Amino acid sequence: MSTPSLSIAVLVSAGRHPVSGIARACRGDAVALALARKLGGDRLRVIHAGKAEEPSIRDYLALGAGRVEVLSTSDGQDPAQPLAAHLKDVGVILTGSRAEVGAGSGMFPYRLAHAMGRPLVGNVLDARIDEDGVTVRQFLPKGRRRGIAAPVPIVLVVHPMAPAQLKYAHARRVAGRVEAVSGFAAPELGDASASVPAWSIDPAPRRPVRLKAQENKTGHARLQSAIVFEAKGGTVAFDGSSVDKAQIMLNYLREHRLVDF
Amino acid sequence: MSDIKRNIKRVDPRRPFGITPAGLRRIVLGETGVVASDAASAKAADKAKDKDKPLRSTEAFTQWHMAIMRSDRGRLDEHARQAIAAAVILARPRTGVIAVVLGDLNENLAALGADRVAVLPEFESSRFQPERELAAVEVMIAAYEAVHVFIPDNAAGDGDLGRRLIAAQHGSWAAHVSEIDARHVSVSWSGGAQVAQTKLPRFVLLDAGAVDADLPFVGAAELIGSDEIPTIPEAVSTCRDLGLEANDVNEIALEEADFIVSAGSGVRNVATLQALAATLGAVVGASRVAVDDGMLPRDRQIGATGKTVSASAYIAVGISGAVQHLQGIKNCRHVIALNRDSGAPIVKRADLTVIGDAEDVMQALITRIAQARAQREGPEAT
Ligand SMILES: Cc1cc2nc3c(=O)[nH]c(=O)nc-3n(C[C@H](O)[C@H](O)[C@H](O)COP(=O)(O)OP(=O)(O)OC[C@H]3O[C@@H](n4cnc5c(N)ncnc54)[C@H](O)[C@@H]3O)c2cc1C
Ligand SMILES: Nc1ncnc2c1ncn2[C@@H]1O[C@H](COP(=O)(O)O)[C@@H](O)[C@H]1O
Repeated sequence: MSTPSLSIAVLVSAGRHPVSGIARACRGDAVALALARKLGGDRLRVIHAGKAEEPSIRDYLALGAGRVEVLSTSDGQDPAQPLAAHLKDVGVILTGSRAEVGAGSGMFPYRLAHAMGRPLVGNVLDARIDEDGVTVRQFLPKGRRRGIAAPVPIVLVVHPMAPAQLKYAHARRVAGRVEAVSGFAAPELGDASASVPAWSIDPAPRRPVRLKAQENKTGHARLQSAIVFEAKGGTVAFDGSSVDKAQIMLNYLREHRLVDF
Repeated sequence: MSDIKRNIKRVDPRRPFGITPAGLRRIVLGETGVVASDAASAKAADKAKDKDKPLRSTEAFTQWHMAIMRSDRGRLDEHARQAIAAAVILARPRTGVIAVVLGDLNENLAALGADRVAVLPEFESSRFQPERELAAVEVMIAAYEAVHVFIPDNAAGDGDLGRRLIAAQHGSWAAHVSEIDARHVSVSWSGGAQVAQTKLPRFVLLDAGAVDADLPFVGAAELIGSDEIPTIPEAVSTCRDLGLEANDVNEIALEEADFIVSAGSGVRNVATLQALAATLGAVVGASRVAVDDGMLPRDRQIGATGKTVSASAYIAVGISGAVQHLQGIKNCRHVIALNRDSGAPIVKRADLTVIGDAEDVMQALITRIAQARAQREGPEAT
């Protein structure tokens, strides 16, 4: 199924359970790993940029990664530059859509693709390696799917809903290896401030506040809006035969372009 | 017995009402609400409300906020509206707001507060051309030197375009923004356990629900003519679009479906409902009672204990509209109810309610659609 010359890598990030905070494989990255395994089989490279001691990384071994390369980066460092250098010979790079630790902005693959000067396809549900590239099935909302023929080299961002069977095996977790590879200390390119926002974490958990336009209403208007309820609901059709009523429904559907005839 | 019934003048407490231009509900004796006049007055009320609203700013604009989004069949969805609203609310009097719409647009964006509207119809969402879209958006941003750019962070392609834009441009940014004001933006941190903030960046990818799109003012919504839109540089596309898959309606998950026909306990013949769904290309859903009765399988249930759907069109046949059911359809854009009872709670939620027998109207609708399909007549002809 896979062409021997093409190298495939999947990027996995550290995962945390959103509620308990327990270290585990990032769900979306595990799905990307499953798809990558389908494409790359045994020659797949699984890569994490961070610390080799990160506890969640061994989970990826249990999910079928035989070996995880950890490219060590220092704490504040943006991993996109060293990873771009490290991955320059890899044909197909797969990533998840969103990390579970930190902001989870989903920007990482885009910055990586930009740094490497390669095209990127997002929301990937499935992929197949062909002679001249990769054929991708892309997720679109409303149940639609799109086919895309992508060239190699490419970055594929895997949608978390991609069909994947995740099988966790403790034996694999024990047998697999996590190997630290020394990344080359890349000089920060461009202005570092623009690459990642500087977040400050609020100490107390809270719900986000909705932005609402300021309204300078008179006291009377405010009282009115508090005591007068606006008529809710739309039109009601009572009269006519069922044919007329069917026509009313059809007209409504057409008026709002919900049907195409 | 029947004599007495005939002689007593009965007042239907739920008799049809009219809606005054002020938007109030009124029962006028001797007058029954007719659909047409109702619709007209409701529309008039809406218009009047918009007309009452003042223009946000009458000053000459010296700088711009830009909101960029894709349209869906000529309209903007709630999420896209919120992105425009954010740009508008955060704009100072001398800051104008430009809405850049990728794809057709058939609605007026004045109520959303947009001062200028640029429509780029060649970028409809069914085509995959990220490089060209990026080039177009970059040209627009450069032409107006937009101070802040707001994009809905959705899976329909805007989130993708926004990320490509951020990667290509060197500016401050934030994605999945769940809270925003003039000074800062916040995102949920590590899966929502905490909130992190930073100062308002240049590029903002907004999550749904961060902004209230109801505004007390309107914008001029001046359309930027196609001759005023800067020429979009050619961009080489690296990927080949193989087109949309012809998907089988029955394989679409309810949560993803765009058109749903749903059965309640008022439906006696499910086959008719399924036929109707098939003619409309819709997915079949059900209320809990319909499921309990064995009419449809459990995985079709919509509501609090079933699935939450977000279809553009939801037709509820013989469903009373209990809160548990309405919970599941709160994200649906157009709700059409078909019910025997004009007092059912679904009427309050529905944009259009047809009072009648489910079976008869469904049959009539199936025939009518078949005719319409055959003739391919335009909406004007009816
Ligand atoms: C904890 C809990 C969770 C629940 N979760 C859900 C849930 O997830 N989803 C859900 O749907 N419900 C749920 N329910 C049940 C919910 O409260 C209602 O009982 C249910 O939604 C009603 O279903 P219905 O509208 O199909 O039936 P009914 O309430 O019986 O309504 C039938 C409607 O059909 C109309 N009708 C009858 N005959 C005809 C005809 N010939 N032509 C046209 N119209 C006709 C009637 O006027 C009536 O309005 C839940 C309830 C509880 C307590
Ligand atoms: N430190 C990292 N090492 C490897 N892959 C990463 C790292 N950070 C992010 N990724 C990948 O990029 C995706 C999106 O991450 P983010 O932009 O942080 O939400 C993740 O799902 C991972 O696949």
